[in-house]
Amino acid sequence: MTAREFLSRLKGAIGLGRTDSDLANEVDFHREMLEAGHRRRGLDEDAARRAARLALGGTAQIAESWRDQRGLAFVDTLRQDIRYGLRLFRRTPGFTLSALLTLALGIGANTAIFSVVDAVLLRPLPYVDPDRLVTVGDREPDGSSSNVGFATVVDWMARSRAFESFSVMRLWMPTLVTGSDAERLSAVRVSWNYFDLLGARPVIGRTFVRDDDRPEDWYSVVLSESLWRRRFDADPGVVGRTVTLNDRPYRILGVMPASFEPLDAERYYHAPPQLWAALGYDATSAAASGACRSCQHLRAFGRLKSGVTLEAATAEMNAIREQLRRAHPSDYQSGSMAIVPLRTALTGDARVALLVLLAAVAAVLLIACANVASLQLARGLTRHREIVLRSALGAGRARVLRQLLTESMLLAAGGAIAGIALASGAVRMLVAFAPISLPRLGQVAVDGRVLAFTAVVSASAGVVFGLAPAWKGATAGRERTLVVDLRGTVAGRSRARTLLIVLDFALALVLLAGAGLMLRTVATLAHAEPGFRADGVITLQFSLNGARYPTDESVVTAQQVILEKLRALPGVKDVALAGQIPFGGVQDCWGFHALGRMQPNAANDPCVDRYSFTGDYLRAMGIPLVAGRTLTDEDSATAARTILISRATAKLIWADADPLGAQVRIGSATEGRWRTVVGIVGDVHHDDVTVPPAAAMYTPEAQITSAYLTAVISARGGDAAELSQSARAAIHELSPLIPIYGVASLTALVDRSAAERVFVMRLLVVFAAVALLLAAVGLYGVVSYTVGERSREVCVRMALGAQRRDVLRLVLAGGLTLVAIGVVVGVGAALALTRYLGTLVFGVSPTDPATFAAAAALLTFVALLAHWVPVRRALRIDPASALRAE
Amino acid sequence: LAINMAAQKTDVLQGTLDLMVLKTLDTMGSQHGYGIAQRLQQVSNDLLQLNQGTLYPALLRLEQRGWIASRWGTSENNRRARYYSLTRHGRKQLEREEAEWQQRAEIMARLLGGAAGGAQS
Repeated sequence: MTAREFLSRLKGAIGLGRTDSDLANEVDFHREMLEAGHRRRGLDEDAARRAARLALGGTAQIAESWRDQRGLAFVDTLRQDIRYGLRLFRRTPGFTLSALLTLALGIGANTAIFSVVDAVLLRPLPYVDPDRLVTVGDREPDGSSSNVGFATVVDWMARSRAFESFSVMRLWMPTLVTGSDAERLSAVRVSWNYFDLLGARPVIGRTFVRDDDRPEDWYSVVLSESLWRRRFDADPGVVGRTVTLNDRPYRILGVMPASFEPLDAERYYHAPPQLWAALGYDATSAAASGACRSCQHLRAFGRLKSGVTLEAATAEMNAIREQLRRAHPSDYQSGSMAIVPLRTALTGDARVALLVLLAAVAAVLLIACANVASLQLARGLTRHREIVLRSALGAGRARVLRQLLTESMLLAAGGAIAGIALASGAVRMLVAFAPISLPRLGQVAVDGRVLAFTAVVSASAGVVFGLAPAWKGATAGRERTLVVDLRGTVAGRSRARTLLIVLDFALALVLLAGAGLMLRTVATLAHAEPGFRADGVITLQFSLNGARYPTDESVVTAQQVILEKLRALPGVKDVALAGQIPFGGVQDCWGFHALGRMQPNAANDPCVDRYSFTGDYLRAMGIPLVAGRTLTDEDSATAARTILISRATAKLIWADADPLGAQVRIGSATEGRWRTVVGIVGDVHHDDVTVPPAAAMYTPEAQITSAYLTAVISARGGDAAELSQSARAAIHELSPLIPIYGVASLTALVDRSAAERVFVMRLLVVFAAVALLLAAVGLYGVVSYTVGERSREVCVRMALGAQRRDVLRLVLAGGLTLVAIGVVVGVGAALALTRYLGTLVFGVSPTDPATFAAAAALLTFVALLAHWVPVRRALRIDPASALRAE
Repeated sequence: LAINMAAQKTDVLQGTLDLMVLKTLDTMGSQHGYGIAQRLQQVSNDLLQLNQGTLYPALLRLEQRGWIASRWGTSENNRRARYYSLTRHGRKQLEREEAEWQQRAEIMARLLGGAAGGAQS
């Protein structure tokens, strides 16, 4: 068939071709001409007509083969089936509505979750050749890549053959002052090739070139689109102007488009960065610019040369690491490299959570399919006669199968449309409730890709729930007798429906068990001890940088003033300023070298989280002092160097010995002053209560001074919001140009760390509830049907003296057996599946017997509820009237 | 051979019918379905068993392929009739099919004639 003919026939098939009456006229003319011819040859009227009809042949057959030629057979049949199916659906609105609703729930949930999965996990990253982008660093215990030092990256560039280029970045929080308003910007310092490596182009101006990234002059910036709008009124002539950051002018080189997706910084700032500046490190002078080798404060990523595998790159980088370690033994720990695809690095833990949710909605959809199949099987009984009749009239088995499947597809399509409507609402809620740790949330949308997924899922669902009923229906058609004894067929259908009930309950149990485990996890997290007391503690971050705070002394002086002002506020119990706080989003790990207890190679000494404070930090945070003393104002810049360590540090380095009075160096093992351990404090969790607390140390702010500070204020009760307002005002009394940001209660910070698990828990609970509801509805349908079907048997039994409890047993036995089988199968499946929850589950075994038992109990209870109405009906049967009805 | 053909009417193969219709329209110009059927019967001396259940679908098929076009017109006895005519596309198709048919016929003739000659010698 040529394309032209196909198109023409397609037009015919959908009713745009020549009409039937058109042909009828043409054939009429033909017959008249034949008649006229016969008359001319002397036949009388009747004979001429008969002869003409004979010569012409059957007009019906002509019309039929002509119509076949006009359209496309499959389209014609489809149209017929669709019209017929729609008519049937209209005639059984109860069936149609419940099937559509069930499917809409299943398909909608799948569409919504998939739209998140697609945006976060599947869609290609918006960079040139994103598959060749990787993060590079030492392998961390969890397989991710660590931060690195600049000198190390310079050596990689010189030695690696597997990479096209490397780039590094670090977070930067400069203060932007306009008028009397100071704002801390979330910014990133990047090596000059950052944008080129990603393949990202600015909307205005240019990005960095090599010459912008010099140690003596790196003072140029690229703006984000949002900062450009907010602070520069989207001025197209912004390029060439300067912006003052930390009291120093920076040249504006260009503006990145809103669509540019910055790398990795979001999870630290909890917002996209607003500005990029050049790095300005000097590889030849480590001391001058922070381009050190052993420190690890840069995030490195690279672009693999095309065709280079991860394995090859890792092997090469391991070899380079070994060379560097031999050349600089005191700078590198033993270890190996991790080359992590950028997508994996960006997605992090979200992957497991999302896949779990996707599996959960798939289970919900399966249950929905089982229910609709069950409904169709039930309906199939009433259609039995119709199908037998059709078969008797010559419809083949394939034809009947096709018609029934078309009806299922219609249902699936209806479910898909309703599901998409549901999903577009659900997606907005998902995004609103989703934890910030999910990257690229802003891009979650029900778009073409998602709709394609929904179409495929719905069509598959249509086949899944349509095939069994259609097969049964088509098989029924083979019985060539119109008067059928339905009993045999009923038994067959009931068997299929009971299987579906077992499937329903097994799947529902798996979901319930998963939801139960997450509920237990979240409950455990809520009661987990982070090592400090978060209640009633508010935190404010601010920074003391720029021309007004040129030296550590000036910062320390300002710290003391602020501390005094905060202490004087009404309602304040204890106040401290800290360099960083647990769950504050920053990590500052230093090599820890204890005199007499170092490794043969000091580079292998452990890395210990460093906190610093001034004021009553331990009291404000409720961290117990275990031994010795806390740090006080006496531990000043000029006093002897002192340090507190946590219990975990004491155990790690000194085991059972007494660390008090011990001498330690931090950072470098060979340089810097020795510090005396003056106290031991309780352990705190740094950012995750599900992992054991890491080793920690505390230094006096005056001795290692930080410009970025967090005020920690424990309140005497009262209004936290009011207190943070007055604290803000107190700090601004010193100078209104101190940027204050990240005002939050400590509880909120801790809760944020549980957000991902809470998110998964909530969704699993919702899905489990839907699954349970659908399973119950399915069970209810089957039980009521059975009761109706067996009402005669019940009558006979009651007439023969059976008691109500015998009837009860009769009804319950069937349904509950199914539920029991479902529970057993479900528990087996759950035992095998819940371990895929992985680290999402905390504080409870993934096969926790109590949770499983509770899930089974809940399921059984709901199953009993589903029996309630049918059982009551069975008990109310009046034997006499029921028998008369037979 | 001729005697055999006279003895029974022969059915028309589909491809052959297409060629016959195209050729008829080529020689007679615009024509209605009845006219085409009559012409084919005449030419074949009534030896063709032309089924109208094949003719009308064939006309539709040729039209769908763009080889012929149709429109309503008025017949010689003042009746509304549908007239078919050859398109430019159809004329080309006719030339192609004619050439093909000639060739096939020659081959058959040569084959059958050659076989007869072989039997004689």
